[in-house]
Amino acid sequence: MALPENVFKALEDIVGAAHISNDPAVLDSYRYSLAHTAIHLGPFYNTYTPRGAAVLLPGSTEEVQAIIKLCNQYKIKFKASSTFWSGQAYPSEEDTIQLDMRRMDRILEIDEKNMYAVVEPGVIAATLQAEAMKVGLNTHVAGSGCSCSVLASATSYFGSGPGNLYGGWFYDNLLSMEWVMPTGEILQTGSLGSGCGWFCGEGPGPSMRGAARGFLGAKGSMGVFTKCAVKLFAWPGPKTLPVEGTIPAYKVALPDNFKAYTVAFPSWKAWADAVYWIWDSGVGYLAHRQFNMFGRDLKYAMVKILADPSKTLGDLEELLEDPEVQAVTEQSKRDFQIVLVGMTQRDMAWQEKALDEILSRTGGWKVEAMLAPEIHDWALLYLIRLGHKNLNLVFGGSYDGCFGLVGAPDFGASFAEEAGQFKKEWEQRGAVVEAGGDCMMGPIGGQGGGGTCLWENFTCFDPHDRFSTDGTLEFFDAATGYGIQRGWGVGMEKWNSVARGPDGRTTPKAVRDKMHLAAPQPNIFRYQYQVRKAFNPNNLGDEYFETLEDEDGET
Amino acid sequence: MDDKKVRLIELIGDGGIVAGQEFDDSSSVDHNRIKPVTPCFTVKPKNVEAVQKIVIWANETRTPLVPISSGGPHFRSDTDPTAAEAVIVDLSGMRQILKIDRRNRLALIEPGVTYAELQPALQDQGLRIAAPLLPRKNKSVITSLLEREPVMSPKVQWNLLEPLRSLEIVWGNGDKFYTGSGTFRGEKDEDWQAGLVPVLGPGPGQLDFYKLISAAQGSMGIVTWASVKCEVYPQARKLYFIPAEKLEDLIDFTYKLLKFRFGDELFIVNNTSMANILASRGAEIQALKNVLPAWTVIVGISGGHILAEEKLAAQEADIHEIAQQHGLPMLPALQGIHGDEMLDIILRPSPEPYWKLRYKGGSQEIFFLTTLDKTPGFVTTMFSVARQKQVPVQDIGVYLQPVHQGVGCHCEFILPFDRAIPAEVQNSLELFREASHTLFRQGAYFSRPYGIWADMIYHADARTRVVTQKIKDIFDPRHVMNPGKLCF
Amino acid sequence: MPLEDYAAEMDRCSSCSYCKWIPFDQVKSWRFAKNCPSIAYHNFNSYSARGRYLVARSLLNRQSEYSDTVRRIVYTCLTCGSCDVSCKVCRYNLEPLQMVRELKFTSVEAGQCLDAHQTIIESLRKESNTMGAGRRERGAWAEDLPVKRLPTEKAEVLFHAGCRICYDKELHKNARAAVKILLRAGVDLGILGENEMCCGGRIYSMGYRDDFTHFARANLAIWAKAGVKTVVTSCSDCYHAFKRLYPELGSKIEVLHAVEYMDRLVKEGQLTFRSEIPLTVTYHDPCHLGRQGEPYVPWDGVEKKIKNQIVVYEPDRPRYNGARGVYDPPRDILKSIPGLKLVEMERIREYSWCCGAGGGVREAYPEFSNWTAGERITEAKATGAQALVTACPWCERNFLDAIGAPENGMKVLDIIELVQQALSVEAADGTS
Repeated sequence: MALPENVFKALEDIVGAAHISNDPAVLDSYRYSLAHTAIHLGPFYNTYTPRGAAVLLPGSTEEVQAIIKLCNQYKIKFKASSTFWSGQAYPSEEDTIQLDMRRMDRILEIDEKNMYAVVEPGVIAATLQAEAMKVGLNTHVAGSGCSCSVLASATSYFGSGPGNLYGGWFYDNLLSMEWVMPTGEILQTGSLGSGCGWFCGEGPGPSMRGAARGFLGAKGSMGVFTKCAVKLFAWPGPKTLPVEGTIPAYKVALPDNFKAYTVAFPSWKAWADAVYWIWDSGVGYLAHRQFNMFGRDLKYAMVKILADPSKTLGDLEELLEDPEVQAVTEQSKRDFQIVLVGMTQRDMAWQEKALDEILSRTGGWKVEAMLAPEIHDWALLYLIRLGHKNLNLVFGGSYDGCFGLVGAPDFGASFAEEAGQFKKEWEQRGAVVEAGGDCMMGPIGGQGGGGTCLWENFTCFDPHDRFSTDGTLEFFDAATGYGIQRGWGVGMEKWNSVARGPDGRTTPKAVRDKMHLAAPQPNIFRYQYQVRKAFNPNNLGDEYFETLEDEDGET
Repeated sequence: MDDKKVRLIELIGDGGIVAGQEFDDSSSVDHNRIKPVTPCFTVKPKNVEAVQKIVIWANETRTPLVPISSGGPHFRSDTDPTAAEAVIVDLSGMRQILKIDRRNRLALIEPGVTYAELQPALQDQGLRIAAPLLPRKNKSVITSLLEREPVMSPKVQWNLLEPLRSLEIVWGNGDKFYTGSGTFRGEKDEDWQAGLVPVLGPGPGQLDFYKLISAAQGSMGIVTWASVKCEVYPQARKLYFIPAEKLEDLIDFTYKLLKFRFGDELFIVNNTSMANILASRGAEIQALKNVLPAWTVIVGISGGHILAEEKLAAQEADIHEIAQQHGLPMLPALQGIHGDEMLDIILRPSPEPYWKLRYKGGSQEIFFLTTLDKTPGFVTTMFSVARQKQVPVQDIGVYLQPVHQGVGCHCEFILPFDRAIPAEVQNSLELFREASHTLFRQGAYFSRPYGIWADMIYHADARTRVVTQKIKDIFDPRHVMNPGKLCF
Repeated sequence: MPLEDYAAEMDRCSSCSYCKWIPFDQVKSWRFAKNCPSIAYHNFNSYSARGRYLVARSLLNRQSEYSDTVRRIVYTCLTCGSCDVSCKVCRYNLEPLQMVRELKFTSVEAGQCLDAHQTIIESLRKESNTMGAGRRERGAWAEDLPVKRLPTEKAEVLFHAGCRICYDKELHKNARAAVKILLRAGVDLGILGENEMCCGGRIYSMGYRDDFTHFARANLAIWAKAGVKTVVTSCSDCYHAFKRLYPELGSKIEVLHAVEYMDRLVKEGQLTFRSEIPLTVTYHDPCHLGRQGEPYVPWDGVEKKIKNQIVVYEPDRPRYNGARGVYDPPRDILKSIPGLKLVEMERIREYSWCCGAGGGVREAYPEFSNWTAGERITEAKATGAQALVTACPWCERNFLDAIGAPENGMKVLDIIELVQQALSVEAADGTS
């Protein structure tokens, strides 16, 4: 159903004719394939999110507010996104207006002394990092990479990444926000609401930031965030990264207070022990099990390809036959990457010694091959800038993560090998990339300088190939069942299946209710329903903000 | 009330019910304009089941509940009932340290556990907790963290609620709920071994439940259990004093330490606060503050437990260099007080008398959040208002505590007064009120809005008031939880 | 490859939006991080490579039809190739530049053409140039130059001026300077003068494949007749056509940009810079000399999969990602000119920002084209340079038009002018 003309005209009056479109081809460029990236449902072959009613490019908070008020007046659903990467950025219902926040892309302020930045939704981590580095600061970059919106990660989704360990994940770093609520009122959280600036996201009193995001955000379903402040942290390096090398093997040679290590361990217990020691001791600036996303069997060969501008994926098989590659692959089975950054030379010297001590105590080692200068400098740049994250899709064009359970290191150590083996067996069936089973990637450190890790088992497939996509779906269903049976819980392969179903539309209520009622605390979703009723009475979002409305349940 | 009380006894037994509580407001002036209302009685539950029954009963009978976990004296009137027929829910009897997990650096505690109890227990396990500066001995750890009292170690505060993690809450509607990963309470050993531990703070889901109860002054629900993050107990540590006559001279130095995350305990006190901390009686305090430097940065350095001495030495040297760059001395002792002695003092709860009461027997605090660079301006304002009220500025203690890894700063003024002198009490009250308003107009962020501060801030931030009221309606629909606080 | 054959890529596109930014490793500021002028200007996702994949799919699947908006989406693509470079930082099995070219070809073949482009094509078909001018005036730039006229005379090295230079009097100097320098270096050089025809490069990037093929074949024929073994040009658009597109039709001619030739001559000691030029300059990498100036590698292969679902090619498919473009010769030349100081912009080499002239955009969307050039000028000014130097007359013209009055504080120069000045070779107007 097309938007009524008077409504379209009213929206056009708000944003200007150049910033609204209902051309079908334009609208189709704002649809997402559900055979695709990190949608955490399906995947479903040849299925797309619904076509929007119109797409708008608002340029200011005032425009956003006017749009939302109009939507409330006419009961039109709306959904905003900044970079439109991942299915949750897209409508689940027909006739939804899509807001592309790209034009609101200013870095409003970087407070060097108090170490925070104020950004609009269109600011991506790459540009914020570049500007922050000029004044000796750095920003956290979400694991999905520096192409992603800082504000979106911080306010509306997850925001975990290699920087959790030291810089903090976006949840921890989120300060005040400007939130155009689902009915069009503007809430400025924390110190901002009192006119005191952006530095504090909490309070006054009970933090209403808690109504805006929890462990996860509302994924675009509860109004629009138009500004936020994020905490930054120290960058004791050059004001601009001195990048060298031939594309795509860019690399950076930084001073001696920067070092990227790949460390590996003889057992998962030792791996967990080391992680705990690292957290206890406070060493590390970035820590992530990153390159394992290519798969245990393929990762080192892939590193060799990526760090060499003359190589392509076509060289993979030959590299896998190389005895040196095989040896390093074997050596790196249970590994992760850690970047040490010393604020001073003494600081760095101590961190180096402490890391060596930890390795000594846990029987771990540094993977020497990853210290070859061209690889080290490539890895260092990769981890700092995190600008190669569409490598997630390098193989066939699509990936999603399975298992993906968040927990203490011992938790992962207890299930990682088994989960990897489970996947390895499924890889034999041909639908997903045969990568060695353990393709688990995730941050070393979840919150507060430690706490948790995440083991997202990368499952790479070809979205153009029905056999591959359908086979991946079958595997994910099996992985979910296995995880439940083993007591690990439902993995990230199903994080969004409560929101959207195989037809690309909102999951039917009966199905959603069943999932929510099976959760350890169904009241979570009953409270979320209450919050939605209170703040989004016309229900103009979608079920990516999960709710349970049942007469039987009491909250 | 008698019928209601009978009903309550039926539900939980009469063992936990005590008579109407006397309020000892001898230590503070009225924070509120409204005088506290004497509660009907106090109930002391022993477990969460009892708490839940109490809350459900309160909903049925429309009885206001005022939860308290800490012992007195209380300063901020958040635990003063302001509604008739209120019942105090005293959780101080729920004081078990349920578990200390060295590996995950977690302690699981009940609301009655105080710092005095927790700190030695943690130390036995090689742990410590980021603690506020000299809390009262009977201060509940959970309450302190829920109130967002600043901790001395900004570098381990990745978010402002740290080190608070998962909670067990009985909401005002009687619902028992686990925040974060509290459903993994680790009651089974195999869960602990498998890493199913309550280490997470946020969520679960898309609301941040523990944030909705933080600084709520008991108006959303009752926390009956919490997991708290601990740090490693360091094998080596030292403390240094960095003094200056002007506060401005210490700001950039402190910023540098915050930026590099050097130092563990890190805060600034003026001579009056320092004297209050070090001495125990009025006369001693008076003498000491005259010889102490006007301002001092206190830097505690911890070596951790891996290559502790080397880490300590490295940081000492680096901090010394930074101090030199800023033209500041880094002293191992100050006026006969050695760093080790100071460390010993600040790492424990306050001995009696409570340090803020030592000078004159009574005190009122004004505290708010700001950024470190603005603190000199606020100090100037506070002193200016004090002079107008003819309150000697040298009596006012100042405590500046960087928080959240340096992005904010807790700014606190301690206004002492002699309760035995009514005029002094009255003057102090007026000073408190006028200074609060003036500081607020200057941009002080009263993030923990007790008493009149709540009026100020919710008047200015009307949208937050509306949203907060809606959240209250969800979690405490009958408004039984500590009515009259915040904007309720 | 017909548009349908890109269906797999349409599905496999990451939707990551890397095509909207320079390679992230190279981002140095918020201001100069974008790479694709069309989405930077229009902002709708449709105007990016990822968006055009989806628009193409929508059209192919008949889920939408051509409209003014769709035509704008198609034809505002400058085919600058920056999306292709950024995509290929991580992806080995997508070809966004080829896809957008194919989208244009398909659109033209479907009759979805722009009037502004049709005018050019009609001129081309009649007068063998894209400038709407007469064939006979083509050789005017070389009127008095003592250089062989092909094909009447024979020469192994042909200097091809290109339509822009031939018909833009202000830019005659570039070609004249190049010819003089090469003659002075003893090169056996000839020109086609009024017999020169359009290279076809511009219309190829506008979507007119058949017309391009016609002109390419005609050029190859006349070169063969003239005994040409090497073609030198100072137009990057022509350079790209000859070097990358003509070999697909069987050309084996060596192709050099004038700046490459001169760099070679300088390094061999055959040209020596004598005059100082006290100037701070910044260099703009033309798209067709830089990232699209890579050598052609023939390939005829198929897609296959390894490890179940990793898409590779048999044999290995050449990877055009800007790595082997012509970046250093112009820089080496500038660095060896006495007194000249080279300062770099933030977006350079394979991730250079386009001048805004390509793909038929200058002709059809002058405001957008002008804006694009303006962005580049802002970036150049941010370096503090006194002059913006380039190696393509299309870039030069677009910058000159955008910069407006000279008092806007920045000169626009072709690199050959500086070479000429440094060699103390007589300029086109007779001065040294």
